Amino acid sequence: MKNIKLAARESRPPTVVNAGGVEIGSGFSVIAGPCAVETEEQTVTTARAVQAAGADVLRGGAFKPRTSPYAFQGLGIEGLKILAVAGAETGLPIITEVLDPRDVSWIAEYADILHNGTRNMQNFALLKEVGRADKPVMLKRGMYSTLEEWLNCAEYILGEGNPDVILCERGIRSFEQYTRNTLDLAAVPALRELTHLPVIVDPTHATGRPSLVGPMSMGALAVGAAGIMVEVHCNPAEALCDARQALTMDAFASLMGRLRGLETYLAAQASESEVTG
Amino acid sequence: MKLDDIRRKVDKIDRELLVLLHERMGLALRARRFKDEVVDAEREEAVLERAGRLNLSLVEQSFGQQLLRTIIEESKRLQGEARELVAFQGEHGAYGELAARRLAPDAAHAPCLEYADVFDGVEQGYFDRGVVPVEHSLEGSVTQVNDLLIKTTASVVGEVNVPVSHCLMAVEASDYRELRVVYSHPEALAQCAGFIERLKLEPRPFYDTAGAAKMLARENPRGAAAIASPLAAELYDLAILKEGIDDGPPSSTRFLLLAQEPLTAPPGGKSKCSTIFATAHEAGSLFEVLRLFAESQINLTRIASTPRRDDPGNYTFFLDFEGRPEDEKVAPVMDELKKRTIEMKFLGSYPVDNGEGAEK
Repeated sequence: MKNIKLAARESRPPTVVNAGGVEIGSGFSVIAGPCAVETEEQTVTTARAVQAAGADVLRGGAFKPRTSPYAFQGLGIEGLKILAVAGAETGLPIITEVLDPRDVSWIAEYADILHNGTRNMQNFALLKEVGRADKPVMLKRGMYSTLEEWLNCAEYILGEGNPDVILCERGIRSFEQYTRNTLDLAAVPALRELTHLPVIVDPTHATGRPSLVGPMSMGALAVGAAGIMVEVHCNPAEALCDARQALTMDAFASLMGRLRGLETYLAAQASESEVTG
Repeated sequence: MKLDDIRRKVDKIDRELLVLLHERMGLALRARRFKDEVVDAEREEAVLERAGRLNLSLVEQSFGQQLLRTIIEESKRLQGEARELVAFQGEHGAYGELAARRLAPDAAHAPCLEYADVFDGVEQGYFDRGVVPVEHSLEGSVTQVNDLLIKTTASVVGEVNVPVSHCLMAVEASDYRELRVVYSHPEALAQCAGFIERLKLEPRPFYDTAGAAKMLARENPRGAAAIASPLAAELYDLAILKEGIDDGPPSSTRFLLLAQEPLTAPPGGKSKCSTIFATAHEAGSLFEVLRLFAESQINLTRIASTPRRDDPGNYTFFLDFEGRPEDEKVAPVMDELKKRTIEMKFLGSYPVDNGEGAEK
């Protein structure tokens, strides 16, 4: 990985990204919320529920990259305004996706973290633009990309002067069709060997099945991820985007309980091994 | 143009017609102050006759005249109501109008081009009352208004703090990605300098925040936005792209309410007094004045100074304090103050704005 300089592990101690008061890279951070902002009521209801369950950051798409041009494309600026309302109601920082370099400065006015999606991992014009923004960037792994290609993209952002990059593993394409993608959990410990940047996992898009989101979230925590990003909807069946993929609010709350339990256990194990080791 | 576009234009025209009517009714109320009686048959005849001469093929003469007659009837009804007229500087939707709405919710609010027009109108009785900004919580005194306060014969009868809530707005159909310039009052542009820079917009000074919004709605220059209050966006049918775009901590502007006569019996609750004075150019003379207030335990709420226009090098002081002139501890201080200053003017005593009655 000869061209990985700024992102390389040796270049600096582990990065902790401060996003609207939440430290990603220190402990286990949970980003949750709907796939897309549909209405103020849906967004605020979901935001309150995920906050009550213990989420750290609220997600929600205002600009949506859809496979079909006829599918719901997001509410745009109106969606950002709704996210701002939900953020003010709950105190949660906001992460939202940016698709177009022309939108970066506008979205940066509303969001605490810019979400650079999987389809845009190698959109170099966009990478440069988010690199110039004054907000942290969550860079998702391209669905066909190697770790080296991915880190090169992080290098673009870092090279523009933005040090706050979070990597997000979201599954890669394989021959398996039961799951939407194949979650590459090994990427998490591998990246911890390669880079100082925090790595989180998106089990929702990786599996496309709510029943698998819980187990893979626990797996992400166990392999040392800095957090997860999961989709939660107040009524998953009615969602305008990626319906039936999101967790219900109850399922999310129950998952949070299990995650915090495992986190406590792992922390106790770590301090014990420090004492005995 | 397809049906949707045509309808959008029609809606826009309807809205403009109503906003223009609002302005016309306001002018009718102002005109009433110059007339002995509501009805002026000669003038009505002239208005209708002029409309008749206008050659508009789609607006038939009879229809045009009938419409104007309806409008004139409504103006006369309003004039008959003898509504209170409260002046503010700027166009409808300016922060001054927000202040006027808070201080006199039931009055008709009259826009004025200059601060001096507000003062003149109140002094001469064309307006019942007027609102003027006296200081910003971050920028300090509004110099022009303070100068006018020194000279005015009007009294201060109220105050209100209006939170600054700047919004970026543009014509509904315009694409935010195409925005290049932003129009507003220089003060508002300065308060939003960080935002303007981050979005790579070019600031263009304009005489008034709401005036910029109005211009945008009427002329729709290419790639242009305006910074003004949410009320301006509502009045001129502009889409708000971002609220709360000012850089610093939340700020507010303090407005004073002016009237010809001072309040004789201010309502219960906390009161405040505003005074203006000049002291002799001698060591300790200002200190002597301030000591009067300190020793009587009177809380000062504002002290500002401005150079005297007629005597540069000497200063006029603005002093606001809590209490009423007839209060036991205030009355002796006021007597003493007259003795120890070379000039002293009591602007008025009025209820303190405690934030109640604030608009949501």
